[in-house]
Amino acid sequence: MLELNDVSKSFGGTPVLKQVSLQLRGGETTVVLGPSGSGKSTLLRTMNLLEVPESGCLSINGDSVTFGATLTRKQVAAIRRRSAMVFQGYNLFPHETVLENVAMPPVLNGKADRATARARATELLGKVGMDHRLQEYPDNLSGGQQQRVAIARALAVEPDYLLFDEPTSALDPELEAEVIKVMVDLARERRSLVVVTHNIGFARRVADRIVFLADGGIGFDGTPEGFFASDNERIRRYLNVFDAV
Amino acid sequence: MTDFLSLWADSLPQLLAATVKVTVPLSIIAFVLALVVAVLATAMRLSRIRPLQWLSRFYVWLFRGTPILVQLFIIFYGLPAAGITLSAWTSAIIAFTLNTGAYAAETLRASVQSIPRGQLEAARTLNYTGWQTVRHVIAPQALRIALPPLGNDLIDLVKGTSLVMVITLADVFQVGRQIAATTFQPLALYAEVAVVYLAIFTVLSFLQSRLERVSNRYIRSSRA
Repeated sequence: MLELNDVSKSFGGTPVLKQVSLQLRGGETTVVLGPSGSGKSTLLRTMNLLEVPESGCLSINGDSVTFGATLTRKQVAAIRRRSAMVFQGYNLFPHETVLENVAMPPVLNGKADRATARARATELLGKVGMDHRLQEYPDNLSGGQQQRVAIARALAVEPDYLLFDEPTSALDPELEAEVIKVMVDLARERRSLVVVTHNIGFARRVADRIVFLADGGIGFDGTPEGFFASDNERIRRYLNVFDAV
Repeated sequence: MTDFLSLWADSLPQLLAATVKVTVPLSIIAFVLALVVAVLATAMRLSRIRPLQWLSRFYVWLFRGTPILVQLFIIFYGLPAAGITLSAWTSAIIAFTLNTGAYAAETLRASVQSIPRGQLEAARTLNYTGWQTVRHVIAPQALRIALPPLGNDLIDLVKGTSLVMVITLADVFQVGRQIAATTFQPLALYAEVAVVYLAIFTVLSFLQSRLERVSNRYIRSSRA
């Protein structure tokens, strides 16, 4: 269970999240939707403490932090261990090969020796269809390939929750499809995914649950069926933008 | 022409001796120490502790803002008045280390700051410790970016060592001057000194391009 309670965060005096509370069960795919500037990314990044809110608390599977006071390194590390982030810009380490990108994190985390980590990395890269480019540097890969490696890297640290921050927003449609396919596979395995995306098709087909953010608060929290059938004015306006395209 | 060549042949051993005894070792020692100083100054500048940031900025301000010649004079001729007497060698090493260190610190700081923010976020989300982030994410990328400007700093240092004659050290330029004065052949001798510097420069720029090729191996555009 990932639980946010009364979380508030502002940037330069502008509130982005206003007392947001949310409970995410394990084994589900939650898709976070919402217009630009609604706080989707901030909400996701809070779960991994890439953003630290001013108030509220966060707990993931027994580890919890309360915001407001200074967090200790130990607290931060305990929470971060529970999740891993896949970024819009991939953020692979350019000076490491595909294999090193995936094998190094568990080694540095003290979770595995090099040989074990390499074997496990090769296996994970096979899972995302990238085990044929183990010795390649990220710069020589397409965006879709880089993002699949980034997913394998996130899996390598064995997180409870996988967090995706607009993972396909930088990709052409055909490359987007290959990344989405990997994410669908992960969802089918009943891994815990939290996905911020503009890919409405993914939300419709794969999500167990939709969280719709608007103006820093939760405007909807429920099933995809309920969401797409909603006659809430803000949700309709949001969905109409996609229909218009 | 034969005079010219025989003069070169006669004077070359002395010039090379001065190069090997003064110019090269002074450059190497000062550059290695300057890198250490630069790493420390950069770490201080990028730390969250204000007084350390100020100290680093002050150091860079002081040594980039004053001529190396003035620094040499202060250390060798000025400090004895304050009771600190240093040998010419020690003075030269201190001056060139601190001067080059200030430039290299600026190079390193700019390199570290040019690493995309996403790289640090990736390290954080993977739960790397501060030291692991420096060692495995920041340093390898910053060094690649810093290599060409650090090469410039080294080349400037080598040429700058020609100033040590003002504090009595007999480097290749000073020895060339002495021979020029006794043979009355300034053009031949100074041209010969210039050739020695060019030879050092050629070796250094060859080494630099080799190093850059290795450090750029993961960048696609560099292969084109």
